[in-house]
Amino acid sequence: MATTTATKSNVGRITQVIGSTFDAEFPENHLPNIYNAVKVVSQHKGVDLNLTGEVQQHLGGGKVRCVALGGTDGMIRGQDCVDTGAPVSVPVGEATLGRVFNLLGEPIDDRGPVNAKERWPIHRDAPPVSKLSTTTDLFPTGIKVIDLLTPFVRGGKAGLFGGAGLGKTVILQELIARIASAHGGYSVFAGVGERTREGTDLWLEMQETEIGTTGRYVIEQTCMVFGQMNEPPGARLRVALSALTMAEYFRDTTGKDTLLFVDNIFRFSQAGSEVSALLGRMPSAVGYQPTLATEMGALQERIASTDKGAITSVQAVYVPADDPTDPAPATAFGQLDAFLYLERSITEKGIYPAVDPLASSSRILDPQYVGERHYAIARRVQRTLQRYRELQDIIAILGVDELSESDKLVVHRARRIERFLSQPFMVAEKFTNKKGENTPLADTIRSFEEICDGKWDHLPETAFMYVGAIEQAEEQAKRMQQK
Amino acid sequence: MAKARALDKRRKSIKNIRKITRTMELIATARFKQAMDRAGAATAYTERITALVSDLAESGLELSHPLLQGRETTKNATVLVLSANRGLCGGYNGNVLRAGNERFGELQRSGANVRLEVSGKRGISYFKFRSIPMSESYTHFEDKPRFEEVELLANRYLEAYAAGELDRLDVVYTRFLNVSRQIATVETLLPLASLALSTPEGAKSAKKEPDARGKPSNRRSATYEFLPSAQAILEEVVPASFRLKLFKCFLDAAVSEQIARMVAMKSATENADDIIHHLAMSYNRARQSQITGELLEVMGGVEALKN
Repeated sequence: MATTTATKSNVGRITQVIGSTFDAEFPENHLPNIYNAVKVVSQHKGVDLNLTGEVQQHLGGGKVRCVALGGTDGMIRGQDCVDTGAPVSVPVGEATLGRVFNLLGEPIDDRGPVNAKERWPIHRDAPPVSKLSTTTDLFPTGIKVIDLLTPFVRGGKAGLFGGAGLGKTVILQELIARIASAHGGYSVFAGVGERTREGTDLWLEMQETEIGTTGRYVIEQTCMVFGQMNEPPGARLRVALSALTMAEYFRDTTGKDTLLFVDNIFRFSQAGSEVSALLGRMPSAVGYQPTLATEMGALQERIASTDKGAITSVQAVYVPADDPTDPAPATAFGQLDAFLYLERSITEKGIYPAVDPLASSSRILDPQYVGERHYAIARRVQRTLQRYRELQDIIAILGVDELSESDKLVVHRARRIERFLSQPFMVAEKFTNKKGENTPLADTIRSFEEICDGKWDHLPETAFMYVGAIEQAEEQAKRMQQK
Repeated sequence: MAKARALDKRRKSIKNIRKITRTMELIATARFKQAMDRAGAATAYTERITALVSDLAESGLELSHPLLQGRETTKNATVLVLSANRGLCGGYNGNVLRAGNERFGELQRSGANVRLEVSGKRGISYFKFRSIPMSESYTHFEDKPRFEEVELLANRYLEAYAAGELDRLDVVYTRFLNVSRQIATVETLLPLASLALSTPEGAKSAKKEPDARGKPSNRRSATYEFLPSAQAILEEVVPASFRLKLFKCFLDAAVSEQIARMVAMKSATENADDIIHHLAMSYNRARQSQITGELLEVMGGVEALKN
């Protein structure tokens, strides 16, 4: 952060502290701009305070209301408060690679200072319409359910929606392991309001994962920004922007494909709602801030691919109380190209990834982008599963025997498809004792086509659990028979 | 609200299903009693014929009748499958049809020319779906099969057998053992294996009952005088025994169907009750949380306006 000398004109006084917001009074004609960072550095009664706040409102009478981007412990009225004259900025560029930051761009990995040539402010405009990239390419992940039903878009945004404990973070980490290790460009990870432990795990894992066969490690191409759940709401509100700014630099200056992973975008909305009432806004639906959609839109619009480079982003979205109509996930939903909904009833069957094949979708699941064959098979799989779901009540009441012959066949195949959508993960090897499977798109399509055609009706259901391509299900069936 | 309304709608539809299954259960119970009575009424006659036939067998006469002699090669076989006209009876149809399909396949593999005859709409649609051609199909045997109707069939088989157009007749039906036990059975009626009402494989518990009751008649070993001759009586008794056996298959199938339906509908009603219970709970919860949410919003708004 550029050190700003405290001249008389840009120094204000704290007049009020309410939770994680505070008011400061400045000379009437030297008010800090909205989004400017203000610093409070003091030592009072043995408490060291080094706090950055962000101006949110001009209240009139020389007063501004700020959101604290750190803890407000030890803050007292009458303290000096310095306007830095600019928004919070973060170091960008090659120097950030391999490092871990907080939202202010300060390294938190104990590896010395960052020698970045440039710093960019975290508040920026979204790229203009004329600069946006219009190409639409499929982005294969090697995960069957994703590639078949919710194909990711290169340079697009994908969301992982799910309630507590359904495996959002595991899928996200799996995607990092798969994509980042096969990827030549840069990756940026934003930890927003999630467990610090998971962040540490990820950091350590990245230091051990090689990029393909280059002999270099994923961490060398990655920078991480954390504002985890122990941080005050102001930090969680802005950390996604800090990470995004770093990703934007890579996109705009290097032109390489950049990956941006966010875990968890819901915490961003949640932090906004925590400070919203303190800023004096009237709560809106379900107690969220009235500016929910604006905030989400401002963030998501910046995650875009331009003619200079692409940002492919994968975001985890927590769904409170498993209710997807909750305003926070609903606002995020509209912004995404591909959308995976994780379903509790599927985890209860022991099927991971617990992607709900009917609630999930992708913008490019369209014959125009993925081709007729892929589209037709994806729809066939969905139709089969849809019919099975419709029949579930009847089965629960009357039993399978009452179904018509064709419905019995549908149920028979749907149960196999359902299980075949599971897949062993690389990051879950220690849980499943199975090696992670990378299934090429062509194999995925062929496997599902053959199941739909009834070629594998004779295999037992359990043979379809946790395999890659369909041939592995056959092998598994043989192994089971031998036992 | 969308969620609560959807839950309520689902609950209503399941309540309707429950009404149907409950009614079906009651109807099946009533019909089962009637079918039981009919089967019981036939028992007296069957037992008497059994006694007569076994007496004949024990009388040491040399019995010979074309129906009793197996053919050396089975060229033409017929499989008669007895299924129900209606569903909603659990595994009743499924079990019979699976057994029938299996026997049909076996006979076909053995190189015989197999005709398939199916009674009951369920069976007809089952074989249609598998595109297995049926030579005959009947839908007029309901829960009260009449002897005259069965006799027509029986006579046709007898004639075909006598003319050498039929070498083997297998009947696939659900054998009624007792109220809690019915088994899908494949029984070979032609050629008649023995004169006594046969006890097919896997139905040993049923064997004991006629034995216990049959003992006094066995011990009697009365001396018979045959008029005009033993052979003439045999001519009469053997076809009658076949007709009776076929009729008994139909009766058993009818009783078993009603029991199967009764049991299936009872458990269906219970399942529906469970689901209704769960849905009612989720509905109440959804409704309550919605009210709580709305209250919170109103109160939040009021508080915010105060400042």
